[in-house]
Amino acid sequence: MTTATSIPLKSPPQTRHGDDATPTPEDVLALARTLRWEIGGDFHQTLMETIYTDAARIADRAVTRSGEKQRFDLDRTIDHLVTSRRWGIPIMILMFTLVFWITITGANIPSQMLSDLLIGKIYPLLNSIAAAIGMPWWLSGILIDGMYLATAWVVAVMLPPMAIFFPLFTLLEDFGYLPRVAFNLDNIYKKSGAHGKQSLSMMMGFGCNAAGVVSTRIIDSPRERLIAILTNNFALCNGRWPTQILLATIFIGALAPIYIAGLVSALAVVGIAMLGIIISFLMSGMLSRSVLKGEVSTFSLELPPFRPPRVWQTIYTSLIDRTLYVLWRAVVFAAPAGAVIWLIANVTIQGTSVAAYMVNFLNPVGILFGLNGVILVAYIVAIPANEIVIPTILMLTVLLNGISGTGQGAGVLFQMDSAVATKGVLVAGGWTLLTAISVMLFSLLHNPCSTTLYTIYKETGSKRWTTLSALMPLALGFAVTFVVAQVWRLLSGIG
Amino acid sequence: MIDPLIALLVAGLLAGITALLFWPERGLVIRWRRSRQISERVLAEDALKHIHEHEMKGQPATLESVAGTLHISRDQAAQLLERAEENGLVSMDAGMLHLTPDGRNAALHIIRAHRLWERYLADQTGYDEAQWHGQADRIEHSLQPADADALAASLGNPTHDPHGDPIPDATGQFVAHGGQPLTAIALDHPAQIVHIEDEPETIYAQLVALGLYPGMTVRLIEATPKRVRFWANGDEHVLAPILATNISVVPLPQTVAVAVEDDSETLADLKLGERGEVKAILPRCRGAERRRFMDLGILPGTVIAAEMISAGGDPTAYRIREALIALRSEQARMIQITRHTETAA
Repeated sequence: MTTATSIPLKSPPQTRHGDDATPTPEDVLALARTLRWEIGGDFHQTLMETIYTDAARIADRAVTRSGEKQRFDLDRTIDHLVTSRRWGIPIMILMFTLVFWITITGANIPSQMLSDLLIGKIYPLLNSIAAAIGMPWWLSGILIDGMYLATAWVVAVMLPPMAIFFPLFTLLEDFGYLPRVAFNLDNIYKKSGAHGKQSLSMMMGFGCNAAGVVSTRIIDSPRERLIAILTNNFALCNGRWPTQILLATIFIGALAPIYIAGLVSALAVVGIAMLGIIISFLMSGMLSRSVLKGEVSTFSLELPPFRPPRVWQTIYTSLIDRTLYVLWRAVVFAAPAGAVIWLIANVTIQGTSVAAYMVNFLNPVGILFGLNGVILVAYIVAIPANEIVIPTILMLTVLLNGISGTGQGAGVLFQMDSAVATKGVLVAGGWTLLTAISVMLFSLLHNPCSTTLYTIYKETGSKRWTTLSALMPLALGFAVTFVVAQVWRLLSGIG
Repeated sequence: MIDPLIALLVAGLLAGITALLFWPERGLVIRWRRSRQISERVLAEDALKHIHEHEMKGQPATLESVAGTLHISRDQAAQLLERAEENGLVSMDAGMLHLTPDGRNAALHIIRAHRLWERYLADQTGYDEAQWHGQADRIEHSLQPADADALAASLGNPTHDPHGDPIPDATGQFVAHGGQPLTAIALDHPAQIVHIEDEPETIYAQLVALGLYPGMTVRLIEATPKRVRFWANGDEHVLAPILATNISVVPLPQTVAVAVEDDSETLADLKLGERGEVKAILPRCRGAERRRFMDLGILPGTVIAAEMISAGGDPTAYRIREALIALRSEQARMIQITRHTETAA
């Protein structure tokens, strides 16, 4: 390779027309062309090396380093502990169990309070105001029974766990612990072509998939980031945990003797979450070997020094950036969904509601997958938010099966006071153990909610990846529930 | 309700058919689309490329060689060449094929498009190098000259493709790599690989598997009609002469003679607590990966210490310019170092 210094020394003869002739533009271009071949292809790197060398020399001359020996050693001690073969993984499990436990126990009370306030107090108040000012029934129906109630539902279920989970997670991040988790787990993720940091975006996905998708920004390798985005939905989100817990309790836990019922249903829910993790690994591997293999992949993971977390700042920014952002998006999508739910239950054609038409049309399809028409309709109208799937199912079941003595009327979401009563409604709607299992599987494996889809579109800027992220889990969900349902029927001998 | 057994069978059948049709790379739909792409124009362009290649070697192409390279019958080849002659691209002279100026321009454009695309795949995408040639072979026929110019500009007007072949510029000019076969250089003399022939694919794959890349320093130890022995990449390699001739090298001045044997040390060889000074990033590390390394400050002269190993056993955290950066073992193997004998404090 010709070195950079030799370029100016060479003056090819064609630039000299006379002794003092200035070169024409053509001469310069011709010279540039010949020189290009002499320099070779590596000059960018040579240039960069030179810049770095210069920068390092200047920095060495100008910067004096004071000995931060003490801190450095403490750092190392913590680092060696949290990444050690013996203690690394147990410490991680302990930390995350703690975070989840605080979230679950801490969120119950505010969730109940919010629900009492928004649904128990404000909702009747709004209804009486509407009656007082003589609002037509259909307007109050769309606005209060539809839009307000769905929004209130989503807020009550979603806000408290997120307001606890995200700050806790951000504190761990700020402390510098999370990069060590990615460091420890990278070898497992590498096997499926993913980045260790995907463990973090997946954790975040257990809180909310939209937030999980945003958090993939920490993955700076394009291919691995796309993998993390496309598989984040397999992390069971906050909106789906209650569905899983409810169904596991009333259908699976009930199978076991009463003293271990709680344990059995808990195991069922954890089993579903684990299945999600396993599927996310499998799909990561498939994606990186097929559609994503052309994307650039470069691994690097910086392990920043530990530092005391800035508690208040962290809580503030995680509330603003993560919780409120996600909540706002959810509300934007939930309100119209509420209106749609109310409308399909109340708009009738020749005496039959639109919902009934949809349910009857989809029922044979649903049966094929161990589901039923009501469940499919609920999943279609509840694309905006998983939180309202169960209330929608209950409302439609009561409405369409003419169950009396419960429910709040056509298009009004509700939930039962007791699990036994919920089971009563569902069984009256034709539910069996197979239906419950199919719904649990389908709840894990279906398209992400519209908030997440919108976020995926924002993050990838690509309709193609957004479509794939919706269709891949949906296809998987239908395939899994189909096989489960058919095998179940085959084995149990029910034609 | 449908009988579950029948339902399962029907679904399995449907899944099988879908897979057969749409399987990536091997599905029927993609095969059908590819077979349609091999139109007459594509064949004609491939013929021009072939004739140009032979002209460069100084042994003109013939009807037989065209038919053989394109996997078509002699009759088809004759028809193809007849039409090319009518279009003023090829002239035939006593069985020898020559390109007219127009034909040469067309051939050079195809070659330019091919090599630019390989450069693009190497630098800007994550495709495996075994796939570069095949993809470029398809794209070269659909890239218009204006597209090629735009691509060249966006890549910074590269001069060589990743195999070391020169990329003709927009006017069709290029400088051949000027290398000679590995078997032709003097024994025990340092030389640099300038080109590795990427056809036929199987031989190229073997050479890549040995870790040989353009830009690498080699030294011939033994060359007999039976085998060729040489140092490269810190290892002794033995190749059949037929393979070795696919490697082109240029001799380097004797002063460049580095102890090639010591090159085997990479970052991955450092044990915890040891330090090393970066000598080079291996040539096979390119594109985004190479840029990332350089962004992190991994450049010749940088001192790097191995500090921690993950609980999972693989990524190792290195102290690089005061930052703690984890690199996977296959990445660490791309960074050549000289070990510092004293251990880090």
